[in-house]
Amino acid sequence: MPETGGSSETPGGAAPTFLHDARSLQRKLVEEYYRDLEANERPRRPVAYMLVGGNLAEILRSFGFEVVFPEIVALNCAIKHQSLDNILHAESLGYGLDVCGYVKNDLGLQDLGGKTSFGRIPRPDVLVCSFSGCYVYVKWWEALAESYGAPLFMFDVPYMREEVPRKEDIDYLVGQLWELVHFLEQRTGQAFDMDLLKRVLIESRRAEDGWVEFLRAGRLRPSPIEAYFESIFYMFPINVLRGTPEAADFYDVVNTEIRARVRDQTYPLPEEKFRLLVEGVPPYTNYRAFWDFFRKWGAVSVVATYPKVGGLFDRGFRHDPARPFESIAEYSLGAYVNQSWPLRRKIIADYVKEYQADAALIHGIKSCRSFTAGQGDLRDWLIHDQGVPTLYIESDHEDPRYFAPAQIKNRMDAFFESLEQRRAVAIAGGRTPA
Amino acid sequence: MSGVVAGVDIGSTTAKCVILGEGSRVLGKSLNPVGVDIVKDAEHALEAAVQDAHLSRSDVAFVTGTGYGRYKVYFGQLVVTEISCHARGANFLFPGTRLVVDIGGQDTKAIRINERGEVVDFAMNDKCAAGTGRFLDVCANALGCDVGEIGPLSLQARHAVKVTSTCTVFAESEVTSYVSRGKDPKDILAGLHASIASRTLSLMQRVGVEPEITFTGGVSQNEGMVHALGRRLGVPVNVSPLSQYLGALGAALHGWERLPGGAA
Repeated sequence: MPETGGSSETPGGAAPTFLHDARSLQRKLVEEYYRDLEANERPRRPVAYMLVGGNLAEILRSFGFEVVFPEIVALNCAIKHQSLDNILHAESLGYGLDVCGYVKNDLGLQDLGGKTSFGRIPRPDVLVCSFSGCYVYVKWWEALAESYGAPLFMFDVPYMREEVPRKEDIDYLVGQLWELVHFLEQRTGQAFDMDLLKRVLIESRRAEDGWVEFLRAGRLRPSPIEAYFESIFYMFPINVLRGTPEAADFYDVVNTEIRARVRDQTYPLPEEKFRLLVEGVPPYTNYRAFWDFFRKWGAVSVVATYPKVGGLFDRGFRHDPARPFESIAEYSLGAYVNQSWPLRRKIIADYVKEYQADAALIHGIKSCRSFTAGQGDLRDWLIHDQGVPTLYIESDHEDPRYFAPAQIKNRMDAFFESLEQRRAVAIAGGRTPA
Repeated sequence: MSGVVAGVDIGSTTAKCVILGEGSRVLGKSLNPVGVDIVKDAEHALEAAVQDAHLSRSDVAFVTGTGYGRYKVYFGQLVVTEISCHARGANFLFPGTRLVVDIGGQDTKAIRINERGEVVDFAMNDKCAAGTGRFLDVCANALGCDVGEIGPLSLQARHAVKVTSTCTVFAESEVTSYVSRGKDPKDILAGLHASIASRTLSLMQRVGVEPEITFTGGVSQNEGMVHALGRRLGVPVNVSPLSQYLGALGAALHGWERLPGGAA
């Protein structure tokens, strides 16, 4: 087999021997979650649909709701190669090529009866649209409300242009949260229990502490974690189960495993040749193939923005039982996609320094202009203003028709070739290589 | 002859091979269409180039594969992307090159390079054949022309039409519509070339336009395209009879560095 530009075909060598306790537990939690959703009968708990970014799960949980995140159902469909059928069905209903893949997967799936290989997705009793940073979601939830005849609560979150939220914005959101409480009391016939909400928030906070400890392990050299691909597996508890003891306990298992990796010097790759910052939503439909493109070149992502869509906890935010509604409001405002580009750029520049990233890779997706618009400028800014070699590639997170393996591989190979060349020249010139 | 290396470039439509000898002298080359059996096409490209150089296969000490089919050059010792190879090849032929524009069968690339021929930045066309060689093939076919004659014909245009479609299929419909309205095929061809030049310029601007600019890939042999691109840029672009072989040439140069005593 010929060599590739100075690297052997599999420089990563054999897969590392991780304990895999965390991965096994994560799989178990996912399976149990979908099994419980399907078996939700006698007595049936009410079901709420909600969006991930800046969500209000703790309030819904305090009312005893099962919370379904259609975005997460959609990405589970995509990673299991089931999204295209749903998308094509949605297109047959009249949703165009340019409509978000999450939206089409969900609407197609529901129209086909809600059955997936990992469980049947129940119908919603209420729809809570917490649309931090994405305005397509408003129309999606309106379509669901019409389709199911379910009551819809629209939670309006102002866009963030300043690092510290304004008091009037927090007050605006707190007012809406009390409206939500009233809405849920009417729908469930239950009185709101503030003490119960505070107990849920204590568990949220515990999970957030554990999640952040895991993410910050990427600062070590070499990194004991894969901060993009591996983090995505471990996002499920912080996004879907946040507020439950199971989510918080999960990160104890994860961090025990990461400490063992550091102790035993067991890393994602035997040789960490490039430390990458990754920005953007992954191509779930070709997740493993995309990951292999990194591994082949000895590239490890040490920090990534996408795992922060559920909350920028690593930037210091925590849900606070002492300030329940105010902290939930701050959380919703602080969702990653709800940040203006100057704020996103600052986060990324800080990450490059804190995690000692050599280069950046941006994966844009056709589906989502909220996340992707501006990434071309981000690329130019990283290269020219920050001196960070950056590659921009594009496909989609849900629709496999947009993933062109040969083209993506070609771009990534060329990018890593150029990084190797620069490093060789720097070493020859007696400079510290990037 | 231990100092002989080969570069094999398997593109989307053609397979190219260049044989280099001492002093980086081009000893032979070949160009063939690519079929369904890429492994065979790669072997055939090398055999034909070796024959052109009046050598035998055993004279070649090192083979580098490049292009979309680079992983199918099983007999090679090194694989390098065509982006790095076009950069190296352009630097070899035109050392002042700072921007390479490669228009091939299905790809258009703008590659910023430094004085050593190393890639600084690059941008490629989206997952779409608009603005590539395939686009010209389809439109030539719609006009009933041979692809080899469309460049010279476009240079005879008097009033170039405006082609607005960015999609290859829709552009073909637009061409048909102009034909049915009685437009002169030369004017239509000039419009098509100008449309590709505009798209290419936009790609070049993404990495930064800086002379000298060297035009490579199969479409660089089309003099109408060379004219349209130079006109859009406002500066002439470097072209060479070897432009179509620059990927293979760059691959051979990469291989040369791997030979004991090869230039670093």
